[in-house]
Amino acid sequence: MIPVKKSLNECMDIIRSRPEFIKNIAHWETIPERKAKTVSFPDSIHPSLQQSLHKRGIEQLYSHQKEAFTAAVDDEQNVVVVTPTASGKTLCYNLPVLQEVTRNPNSRALYLFPTKALAQDQKSELTEWIEEAELDVNTYTYDGDTPSSIRQKIRKAGHVVMTNPDMLHSGVLPHHTKWVSLFENLKYVVIDEVHTYRGVFGSHVANVIRRLKRICRFYGSDPVFICTSATIANPKEIAEQLTGKPMRLIDNNGAPAGAKHFVFYNPPVVNKPLNVRRSATLEARNIAKLFLENEVQTIVFGRSRVRVEILLSYLQKIFQKKFGAPKIRGYRGGYLPKQRREIENGLRNGEVLGVVSTNALELGVDIGQLQVCVMTGYPGSVASTWQQAGRAGRRQGEAVIFLVASSSALDQYMIQNPDYFFTRTPERARINPNNLIILVDHLKCAAYELPFAKGEAFDGVEIEEVLDFLTDEQILHFQNEKWYWMNDSFPAYNISLRSASQENVVIIDQTEVANVRVIGEMDRFSAMTLLHDDAIYLHEGVQYHVDNLDWEEKKAYVRQVNVDHYTDAHMAVHLKVLETDEETVSAKAEFAYGEVTVNAMPTIYKKIKFETHENIGWGHIHLPEEELHTNAAWLSLPDAISSQLSEDHIEHGLIGIANVLRTTAPLFVMCDSSDLHVTPQVKAVHSGQPTIFLYDRYPGGIGLSENVYQSMGKLLQEAKALIQRCSCEAGCPSCVGSPEGAEESGKQAALKILNMIL
Amino acid sequence: MSLKGKLARFKNDIVTETRSQVTGQRHTASLDMAAKWAALQAEPFLFDGQTAWVRTVSYPLNTCHGRYPFSMLKEAVSAWNETEIDHPLSAKGLSFDELLFFDTETTGLGGGVGNTIFLIGCGRLLGDRVVVKQFFLPTPSDEVALYQAFLTDVKDLKNLVTYNGKAFDWPQIKTRHTFLREAVPNLPAFGHFDLLHASRRLWKDTLESNRLSVVERDILEFTRTGDTPGHLVPFYYFEYVKQQDPEIIRGVLEHNEYDILSLITLYSHLSQLILSRIPATAKEQYEIGRWYAYTGSEDKALESFLSISDAAGHEGRLANRNIAAIYKRQKRYDEAMMIWERLAETSATGDSELLIEMAKVFEHQYKDFRQALDCSKQAYRIEKQKSRVARRSQDGLGLENRINRLERKLFCS
Repeated sequence: MIPVKKSLNECMDIIRSRPEFIKNIAHWETIPERKAKTVSFPDSIHPSLQQSLHKRGIEQLYSHQKEAFTAAVDDEQNVVVVTPTASGKTLCYNLPVLQEVTRNPNSRALYLFPTKALAQDQKSELTEWIEEAELDVNTYTYDGDTPSSIRQKIRKAGHVVMTNPDMLHSGVLPHHTKWVSLFENLKYVVIDEVHTYRGVFGSHVANVIRRLKRICRFYGSDPVFICTSATIANPKEIAEQLTGKPMRLIDNNGAPAGAKHFVFYNPPVVNKPLNVRRSATLEARNIAKLFLENEVQTIVFGRSRVRVEILLSYLQKIFQKKFGAPKIRGYRGGYLPKQRREIENGLRNGEVLGVVSTNALELGVDIGQLQVCVMTGYPGSVASTWQQAGRAGRRQGEAVIFLVASSSALDQYMIQNPDYFFTRTPERARINPNNLIILVDHLKCAAYELPFAKGEAFDGVEIEEVLDFLTDEQILHFQNEKWYWMNDSFPAYNISLRSASQENVVIIDQTEVANVRVIGEMDRFSAMTLLHDDAIYLHEGVQYHVDNLDWEEKKAYVRQVNVDHYTDAHMAVHLKVLETDEETVSAKAEFAYGEVTVNAMPTIYKKIKFETHENIGWGHIHLPEEELHTNAAWLSLPDAISSQLSEDHIEHGLIGIANVLRTTAPLFVMCDSSDLHVTPQVKAVHSGQPTIFLYDRYPGGIGLSENVYQSMGKLLQEAKALIQRCSCEAGCPSCVGSPEGAEESGKQAALKILNMIL
Repeated sequence: MSLKGKLARFKNDIVTETRSQVTGQRHTASLDMAAKWAALQAEPFLFDGQTAWVRTVSYPLNTCHGRYPFSMLKEAVSAWNETEIDHPLSAKGLSFDELLFFDTETTGLGGGVGNTIFLIGCGRLLGDRVVVKQFFLPTPSDEVALYQAFLTDVKDLKNLVTYNGKAFDWPQIKTRHTFLREAVPNLPAFGHFDLLHASRRLWKDTLESNRLSVVERDILEFTRTGDTPGHLVPFYYFEYVKQQDPEIIRGVLEHNEYDILSLITLYSHLSQLILSRIPATAKEQYEIGRWYAYTGSEDKALESFLSISDAAGHEGRLANRNIAAIYKRQKRYDEAMMIWERLAETSATGDSELLIEMAKVFEHQYKDFRQALDCSKQAYRIEKQKSRVARRSQDGLGLENRINRLERKLFCS
């Protein structure tokens, strides 16, 4: 029998016709189609460029494209363009740049993309245009893959150099004397996807830009910055923090878009007293299956690498007979670049029908036009959700997006309050370029690149004390009013922009003795819980058993296996307050913000069975403790309150509140839940009081906990409301966590404490 | 918390660099540093308020450095001038005093802009002496003086003799010069004899490494006593910068001086070897032949290979293969065939490549398809035997095609 391929609309009809499916739909929002807003070309566009636009079938510009052109070219303003995916944002920077190079062939432009893949994408697009228009413009990507034979040519003659912040940091700036013609003539710096430069990474990148501007000044150039961003609350602010320049915000999107169906899907409750719902992973699998078996191109997002791999193995198993495995692919960090390029191409040309991805595909990697997007769990932020949703129906035509909620508090909150989601402004992106450790890292690099003169600031930041410190530490040498680099190392090599720890763990597959190979790598902190001895590690849907994690050598030796479970590891955390910077004390509660030391150590792991998700065993993890100095915000109960409560009550209440904060606090400060950790302590070491700590994961902090401190009152109100709204009896994973046989339920305990302090 | 306090707290996160591994003996401040420099044969070069130290030492030409006296360089240069050989190391058209032996010392490894050159050393033969001049940077803020001193003294850089100067020293000079280009003369045109490339060619397989110190010890028969290890050089300099006592840097100056002197002996030695003025080992002769072949001097290559064609063992066989290859290119098929035949006969395990070469000549030049087929079949048997051992199945040499074609030619015509 030949299977009949159904259209997207037919699939939607099937969904609508299945009552058991319909009853789980909490909300169905149809976002109407949007018409284009176009304007005619500004007169100032160079005639040869106008011609080339005509050739490409472009007769008019979208309103935002014209505004960007006028601002960046005619007024030489720094701009940040905020538009959704597929709105022609690349034209917003390519047009000004080509205009400049056409008018003045000596001019240069530098493009920064968050990943190599994006740079390569954009390079092919721009090259195509240049060739069609027969313009005399040299465009190159410059990254770790660039052959050394053409590097010299790129440095001297590349009009447009496309790279990533990491390469700028370690491959360009420390060698600026080889790039004289670029730095002397740098007219435009394009920073694509500025919203991705947040947190630690963004704080690093802001410092790389400070270094870039410093080198430009040395060579006498002062480039105009053109930034683009996805929709976030503060694109102008983040672009200004990142570049240290005043920005003009351009957000009058004139591009058309097809209609979108946004479906909120809440899996049915399977355990009423515990308020546990059917697994989001399994439900997402079923939804994806429906579309995939009708050959509708579908992207499924999972929240973690493990989720992605589990979903992938489910879906590959289902479709193995029908299509063979290569039709359904996984996509996440840790895959080798070649693999990823292959998957991207497969999606564009239709060879790959379904892809299961982490947020790695949130970025503007060109994977063409998909029709269906399934999110397994709320992605954690409004901005992220829209980004992922944008993967379906990028240009025209209808698209459908499913948000499948998990049992977690945050997911349940979002799914039961669709208005909250659809009316809420997306989150703010935050960076802290002045995090002391990050700042000092880049001051070292900057001193290596060019000596600091006495009185010189680092893009406005006073740095003399730091330079004196580095002189005392024999890294710099002060002579004739200047600080010189005086060490044998190459500082940029020791500083990674992406992760707190430079050393990644390399994953080595030794299934075949004759063919031992590296299959990926992972940052050290993640490796503690994902690559410990006897962990089951999933890679491209294949299960591996970790035979040995060599912590000294940072190597994990794995072997392919086929088992019916996965592993889940736990960390023990000890926390000491070193100094309190700010505090708000009332009779009911004490809020504070300051510096802490955190000691973390993975303790045990559990083996959890697929499908049923039951616990079938456990083991110890033997790894050394990691120490972290950072900032934290905390909430303590004064004796007047705690004396009214039993110890048991306090313990369960704190654990419950911490559970809720773990999901709601990242919402308030727009960060990944792994960037902000929450730890309850019945007796805090520094005060002896019951306390809940929220701390920055990065050494020295990146401003998250400070923000938590400022909105602590609101945050606790929100937590209380969430617990009250939850329909469970005594606590569930959607609020304070499952009850553990205590006399009084965690839910009541948490509410009682919150009522007393608010 | 104060910034100072924070810096102290995060010290382990912030300071990851290697600390100074050396300590200079702090001499009493009252000692006159200028007098100490004078004792090291150095004079100040003053420019625009900055200072560089220029140290000059010289040796008579009959001084031996390793296996030769410096005067050997004169002989080497005249030997090049007597030949017509085109070779990368050739000094034809030059007189011995035009060669500038050149080496720098820097504050770190790698090629970034922050790696400062603090010592530029040059050596050359002038009249009856070898003169080594070293330009030294006493503080990082004296760079203009350093390059002024160096560039006004050494105007012609067309014939630098270096060790890895192509990839390291010269690019680094260019990098630092870019910083100062407004304040100092332009860099003149330059040319290179990079002896690292030469030692790689000749001794890559026989030496434990191609570092100059190893070549010096094992080839030039020169032993340094009390030398400063290369990896400590930056730290001695950092210590000097703090203390400004020339005693601290003396070892580094000597280290650099030795490097330059060794370059003179090395260049002399290489020239003698390449021009067959002294006996070379079979391995060296073979590599010299390959080098000639690479640069297109076929006759010289042939000469080198022929000189070791009777040598026993691996080099002799390799030389003969190369001789045959040259004969083939020169269309001297009979001579080539003789060599291949002899090699094939004396091969212990059989050599299919030789048989294929023979088959090609039989087929295309002699039109003797039967012989060609015989050779191909022999080669095929050898390959089959080998593939059984290595469990390979591919016929990478295209033997089956060759045999089929030959059989067609033989039986169908």
